[in-house]
Amino acid sequence: MSEPSDTLNDGPGDSRGDAIVEVDGLWKTFGAVSAVEDLSFAVRRGQVYGLLGPNGAGKTTTLRVLMGLERPTRGTTRLFGTRVTPGCRELVRVGAMVEQAAFVPHLSGLRNLRLWWEAGGKRMRDADLDGALAIAGLGNAIDRKVNTHSQGMKQRLGFARLLLGRPELLVLDEPTNGLDPGEIREIRELIARLSAQGATVLLSSHHLSEVEQVCSHALVMNHGRLVADGTVTELIGSTGSVYIEVDDRERARAVLQGLKIVERVQSQGDGLVVELRDGRRSEVAAALVGAGLQLETIMATQRLEDAFLELLAAGDGQPPARVAQAAS
Amino acid sequence: MISLVRTEFTKAARRTRTLVVGALLVGLPALIVFALHQRNNVRQANAGEGLFRLARQSGLLVPAAVLGATSGFLLVVIAATFAGDSVAGDSAWGNLRYLLMRPVPRGRLLVAKATVAGLLIWVSTFLVALAGLLAGIALFGAHPVNVVAIGLQISEKTLMLRVLLSTAYVAFGFTALLALGTFFSVLTDTAGVYIVSEILDGITQLGRVRYLFPTHYLDSWQSMFTDNRYSHDMIAGVLVQVGYLVVFGTLAAVYFRRKDIRS
Repeated sequence: MSEPSDTLNDGPGDSRGDAIVEVDGLWKTFGAVSAVEDLSFAVRRGQVYGLLGPNGAGKTTTLRVLMGLERPTRGTTRLFGTRVTPGCRELVRVGAMVEQAAFVPHLSGLRNLRLWWEAGGKRMRDADLDGALAIAGLGNAIDRKVNTHSQGMKQRLGFARLLLGRPELLVLDEPTNGLDPGEIREIRELIARLSAQGATVLLSSHHLSEVEQVCSHALVMNHGRLVADGTVTELIGSTGSVYIEVDDRERARAVLQGLKIVERVQSQGDGLVVELRDGRRSEVAAALVGAGLQLETIMATQRLEDAFLELLAAGDGQPPARVAQAAS
Repeated sequence: MISLVRTEFTKAARRTRTLVVGALLVGLPALIVFALHQRNNVRQANAGEGLFRLARQSGLLVPAAVLGATSGFLLVVIAATFAGDSVAGDSAWGNLRYLLMRPVPRGRLLVAKATVAGLLIWVSTFLVALAGLLAGIALFGAHPVNVVAIGLQISEKTLMLRVLLSTAYVAFGFTALLALGTFFSVLTDTAGVYIVSEILDGITQLGRVRYLFPTHYLDSWQSMFTDNRYSHDMIAGVLVQVGYLVVFGTLAAVYFRRKDIRS
């Protein structure tokens, strides 16, 4: 069983004590089938952490174990430093949407919110109902039976429900599934807004653009195993190249060719494409600025989708890539 | 716990199905009593028919006759539906996982759901009896009953007391079904155990094993009206129900606490 610290993303300002989600050597098997194998990661306060992987990678199973819905076969999960057991009190501090938002269909949206909240033994006045209703944005439809709501309305109602208790941690499993582009945008903006307000977010998705836009950190899973983890920037940069624009292209080429991490430098348009041996874009930027060059643009030439596919292709049978450690 | 029971009751009571069941439990006894009033020749072959024959003398006995007619199948199906749907209903909606992530402790949730299912079963049973009583008094009046077979007359006060007792006994007679239904609700979505029990109970070759079936003593209350005596079988019936409650209630709780929630 590996130590969680082996796979942590020790980014700037992070410390082990900040971890509010810890998954340590998690295994979950169903008969002979392993859904999750020896998975370890940690999510620190303030991070927006993406769980990436194709269908069947074990993302939802991991979240179910984390939320106490399923028992781990081996390993432990912790929330706010407390080991997760079914119904443990720390879940009060979490707002979760696992798979699609689901409700009692014959009751109105508002009554569903009330009953769910009161089932926890709290009074409605203790909930942030106005804030939740504003987020749901359902207008008069909040009083209609949920079985008359569209999937998008249910998802928004699901967000309203999970925000009733002003949670410190949001656990979201494919939150934009089944939504139209406008609704997807709304949900992404909502997640960004909540993150800006201080919420920590653990988000599972197979929409790579979603993770790229919303998440600060990501973990790639495949066949239940960890393939790579790190900041999204690092994941994107770890296997590719960067495009730069500087005030003096030829001097920049000379500087870059002297760097060990640079494989090749090619001209492209007004700039240069720099192929890296590993993903430390920051070193490229530091070297150029250190040489007195004015760096106008630096960006990954590949997107998360490219990195994801490369990681999955390379990940089968390989030990997980610890991107952050390599980068630090 | 009270707030949890209240929320679970609200969910169950506001279902269209519950309202339909309520209408059925009021309408069917009224229909039976009306048919009884219209009918001149009633056979006297067994206890159920004996109750119907006696019921024509007094509306106070009609609830017993209606209970006798409905407790073998209709109330069984209704009770099985309430019990069997207690956990499975939320599970089928996908709402169970959200309750457990609230978090509502699993043991407490199971007790609340079983309590609400039990409450609905008792309400259903009393609703049948009350509907029968009102329809019976309206059509047959409220009189003492002469039990010709044993040469005794049962007064109005005794009749009312026994109707109350028999209704409570019938409602309590579904306790085993409640425990079984809740257990199977945790396991799966079906609860047809009582019907199977009723069928098996009719097979005399099964001997003493039948005494442990949850339905074996279900009709033992009828001797209060047909033989003017309280049967010892009623006590045995209560003990069997308690036994089922303890065994299957414990099994349901243990299994539910350990179960992976995948819906």
